[in-house]
Amino acid sequence: MQRLDRLERVTDLLLVLLDTSQPLSLREIADRVPGYPDSHGARRQAFERDKRLLRDEGIPVLVEPIGGEDQLGYRVDPDAYYLPDLGLEAEEQAALNLAVAGVHLGQPIGHDALLKLGAGAESPLRSGTAPLVDLRSIDGLPALPILFDAIRTAAAVEFDYRGEPRHVDLAGLRFRSGHWYVVGHDRDRGDARTFRVDRIEGIPTLGGPSSAHLPDGFDAELHFSREPWQFGGGDEFEVDVLVDPAEAGRVVAELGPDSVVERRIGGAVVVRLTVTDQDALVLWVLDLLDHAEVLRPEATRHAVIDRLTALVGRSTPPSEEPRR
Amino acid sequence: MSTLTDTAARLRRLLAILAWLAQVGEAPIDEAAARFDLTPEALVTELEMAACCGVPPYTPDQLMEIVVTESTVSTRVGTALARPRQLSPPEGFALAASARALLTVPGSDETGALSRALAKLDRALGGEEIAVELDAPEFLAVARDALAARQHLAISYYSASSDRVTERTIAPIRLFASEGHWYVDAWCTLAGDQRRFRVDRIGSATPVEPTGPHAFEPPDDRAGLDAFVPGPDSRKVRLSLDPSSAWLVESIPSAGAPETVDGRIELEVFVGGDAWLERLLLRVGPDGFVVDPPDVQSLATTAASRILDRYRSAEGTPPAH
Repeated sequence: MQRLDRLERVTDLLLVLLDTSQPLSLREIADRVPGYPDSHGARRQAFERDKRLLRDEGIPVLVEPIGGEDQLGYRVDPDAYYLPDLGLEAEEQAALNLAVAGVHLGQPIGHDALLKLGAGAESPLRSGTAPLVDLRSIDGLPALPILFDAIRTAAAVEFDYRGEPRHVDLAGLRFRSGHWYVVGHDRDRGDARTFRVDRIEGIPTLGGPSSAHLPDGFDAELHFSREPWQFGGGDEFEVDVLVDPAEAGRVVAELGPDSVVERRIGGAVVVRLTVTDQDALVLWVLDLLDHAEVLRPEATRHAVIDRLTALVGRSTPPSEEPRR
Repeated sequence: MSTLTDTAARLRRLLAILAWLAQVGEAPIDEAAARFDLTPEALVTELEMAACCGVPPYTPDQLMEIVVTESTVSTRVGTALARPRQLSPPEGFALAASARALLTVPGSDETGALSRALAKLDRALGGEEIAVELDAPEFLAVARDALAARQHLAISYYSASSDRVTERTIAPIRLFASEGHWYVDAWCTLAGDQRRFRVDRIGSATPVEPTGPHAFEPPDDRAGLDAFVPGPDSRKVRLSLDPSSAWLVESIPSAGAPETVDGRIELEVFVGGDAWLERLLLRVGPDGFVVDPPDVQSLATTAASRILDRYRSAEGTPPAH
């Protein structure tokens, strides 16, 4: 006889667990779902594998205490299993289809979502001339949907960033200048911090729902660090940078007029930056080539000078590199 | 065709198929199979298996009837599996982020339907805390309209890498946002070839009647989006990097495939101009250098010396120009 397809057993299991309002013991489940082994140990093992499969598929299998010798019962909460009725009009559904078709996330996950919403009947179509938006592939950013879930469920999050474990209560996700950022309250530092999602190391771990506690009135927009030298770093310090007239306009437009602490005759400006990541600041200053100069503090000024000196004095001058 | 055989993937797909069939009622087998990346035979096999599922006493919400004819498949799916499943976190994220991204594009939601859809999604899924910001350059709408109407544009274009403004006529082929900026790929009369322009560097743009023979059909997929199209004044430079600093250049769209040479990474990038290359080399630091061409091999050292001169002069004294 052909072995029973495990998919059939798992589908039956799902139907049984959805159908019941009372948690079912493993014995009751095996009575209703064909295909479980007779011996107790093997049956338990097979069921646990199926339960894990359902959970990995995002199906909320609840475990609840019941009386009797089985002690534990199982069911699926229909409220958590089914998508609430969104009440989308046809025109709104079509607009969502176009949005998913016009935005590049690197995998067809958006289309899977549309299928669930019932976009079924017609394929999402976009005109070849419609603009495309590339939000970076979420294949390369596995932390992104997990962080989204943490925000949705107000779960506290732990992840490694720049080699340190961080404990953060999240407030929002931001896509800006081609990168995804997450902003939240860093528990260890007792202050707001912004992290670049592609620099988060490994997969974040989530606490339970509602385990995050943002300070009262925490405003993600307000606390979202705007500049690369403010991401996820350590202690804050201030850096003054002198910018020549040639780049002053662009820099002030980028940083905002409040950053200017001095305007010199001829158009040069001194801007004051709050920095938590000196390396990132040095790269930003070097991007301005000889149109900018760190004035203070000495340590940051020296970080720039050291980097340039290393370039000028490197042991293998480019001109002496052997050609391949 | 899909070779997915593991039970989890099959379950996910089966639930999607049933929810979809519950909605459409009847569909051509070929179309249904293609939609779920299955062969028609495999689709029928999965559905026949599903028809065997159900729980005693087979209440109406679990009843599953599947009728396969020569060319169509129709089902009556009990409500238990007909109602759509909750979105997974990646799916919810993809919808919320996509809708927000498109809303930032001028003219993309003239009827307001997308905003209304998003408000409903947010209410159910809680996506309010996602924000997508794209830049909104002055001539974005002009470029979009020209592309839609297949018009050409006479533009003035500032190339930051060569620090020059040039006049040219372009035939837009595609408009897209990537790495935080809007770009237009276009046939360029000045270059006589396809070029990529950053929309925020267009200083003026006027629609003109098409004159050239270059009526490009816009590509209908995204395959070419990541493909590099040279900027207006690009040339190729070969770099050698320490493996530890390779990440600094890997996000450059023009970077070619890296090769390992004597324990170091070598790769070619298209360089817009000397200033651009100076910035790149300063960023890479002392571990990186130019292999070819020879005339830019000393660029990093001269740029570093030039900046150091400034630091060696009295603090805060701007260099003489």
